Amino acid sequence: MAVAKPKQQRLVLALAALAVMVAAGIVAIFALQDTAAYFKAPSDIAAEPPAPGQTIRLGGLVKAGSVGRSADGLVLNFTVTDMKADTPVSYRGIVPDLFRENQGVIATGSFDASGHFVARELLAKHDENYMPPEVAKALEKNGHPMGAGRPT
Amino acid sequence: MKLLLALIRRDLALMAGRPGEWLMPLAFFLLVALLLPFAIGPDVALLARLAPGILWVGALLASLIPVSTLFALDSADGTLDQLMVRGIAAETLAAARLVALWLGFGGPLLLAAPLAALMLGMPLPMLPPLLAGLLAGALGLSALAVIAGSVTLGARGGAGLVALLVLPLAIPMLLFGSSPTEPGALGLAAATAMMLAAVAPFAGGAALRASRG
Amino acid sequence: MRFPVLGPIPAMAAPDLHALANPLRFQRFATALTPWLLVLGLAFMTVGIWRGLFFAPPDYLQGETVRILYIHVPSAWFAMGGYLGMALAALAAMVWKHPLAALSVRAIAPVGALFAAICLITGSIWGRPTWGTWWVWDGRLTSMLVLFLLYLGVIALIHSHDDKARGLKMAGYLAIVGTLNLPIIKFSVEKWNTLHQPASIRLSGSSIHPDMLQPLLLSALGFLLLFAGLVLVRMRTLIAEQRLEMRAMRRAARAG
Repeated sequence: MAVAKPKQQRLVLALAALAVMVAAGIVAIFALQDTAAYFKAPSDIAAEPPAPGQTIRLGGLVKAGSVGRSADGLVLNFTVTDMKADTPVSYRGIVPDLFRENQGVIATGSFDASGHFVARELLAKHDENYMPPEVAKALEKNGHPMGAGRPT
Repeated sequence: MKLLLALIRRDLALMAGRPGEWLMPLAFFLLVALLLPFAIGPDVALLARLAPGILWVGALLASLIPVSTLFALDSADGTLDQLMVRGIAAETLAAARLVALWLGFGGPLLLAAPLAALMLGMPLPMLPPLLAGLLAGALGLSALAVIAGSVTLGARGGAGLVALLVLPLAIPMLLFGSSPTEPGALGLAAATAMMLAAVAPFAGGAALRASRG
Repeated sequence: MRFPVLGPIPAMAAPDLHALANPLRFQRFATALTPWLLVLGLAFMTVGIWRGLFFAPPDYLQGETVRILYIHVPSAWFAMGGYLGMALAALAAMVWKHPLAALSVRAIAPVGALFAAICLITGSIWGRPTWGTWWVWDGRLTSMLVLFLLYLGVIALIHSHDDKARGLKMAGYLAIVGTLNLPIIKFSVEKWNTLHQPASIRLSGSSIHPDMLQPLLLSALGFLLLFAGLVLVRMRTLIAEQRLEMRAMRRAARAG
């Protein structure tokens, strides 16, 4: 059998590999356009309401002034917002330290039959800003409340 | 090109004669699908929800089985040396093995996957995206098998070592492929598999050459 | 008969004098540099962490928990950077066949694995109070775990080959393939909405307050010097070990 030189074989393979890599890159770019987010935002849910009972992760900011507790104090009620839409949530369990108004949260749970989101797990998300409390206070005074205005 | 096809045909013919490289993984894959209902219990809804993940983990573990003989037999009887001495690049050998494994391991796997999905009661509309994911996944897993098979040529360590080499690199594919209905996940699984397939002939070829000392 | 790559074999010295001379010069250079790297690294790390723990302000949101940052972030940086260095060394060993490059793959791997482990452990301790969970299976955390496992794979592969030079080569190929994981780590935080916050320090500037950034950078410098120092210590050990083996082989050859 007449065989091409090893060098030529390698060259052909390298060209093929390059083509596959480019194709993979293009596929990846297209896939990233509508990529699977770790969580859904309230406006995603408003656009495409999930079925009751289906487990989803809901992510967004805790709406200012929305946090309250049930009469027996065991159930935490609050609203998750992404500034476009709101989803009311209730959660029963231990609340992480960083759970604050205007801060990011991710709630895992499902909608009950009446369309209310019941979280089984509540995680707090913080942002990439690190600063002393005084600086944050000063910023807030000047009208740049931290954490607000940036749907995560 | 003709050379590559001839090598692929040779590898496939060899595989047909070595059921350990395609029948065993297949049986293993189906057994995983069979065992899980016993382990998890008869909760149909739960099984259906877990099905894609179970099938992926089954495929992943099944892909470890052919690794140990992939190049070792050809190396032991001197075939590998012969082919390389006759001017066939190690990269070409690795590429041929990759394609042969994709067809010989991935093909039967894809045929068995609907059966396994039925056994687990997976909803039918999930099947096409899952199969598409497994098709891409089989390519990526074959690439990893070629890499692992060549770098462990002549090594002690056996199955545990192979698992340690293959499984971490397979995690991204598993992550994307086992939730094929999420938007973009299939594309990312395919992209990851293609990347691995593009690299495997060169890593595998270099390792094959290094194994000759 | 295969000859190990390093060490003075008079009869074999002629063809690769260059490769032979370099490790010797390297050995001298490394011997002089190692104590400086270790001492300075420890000093910077101690000062950075000490200032981070006792003098840096608490975070406006996380309070005192933020202080684990001074260990978590540097270890994450150099676990990733170390992997890149290891893969580049493997590439250099593949292209130029330089024995020191191959050896540095073996020298870097356990140090990188240690840093990755520190990153994972401190991250987990940090995640519990702030996020409310020890661990989530999202892109950033998972890919760091994969990086740790890749380090372990490289180490295991080196040691599973009886022929050491071959083991180094094989592990090098694995390390190079593993770099495919690095962009996934990098982009997982940029492109996905993960639980992990985005990078705070970028080319365009930092979103960490200067009072907290300064100890972080000090500590990072310390981690970097320590990483380099530990790698050099391992390099010297590995070279010495190879020499010993050579000597034993020569003695055996003379006796037999």
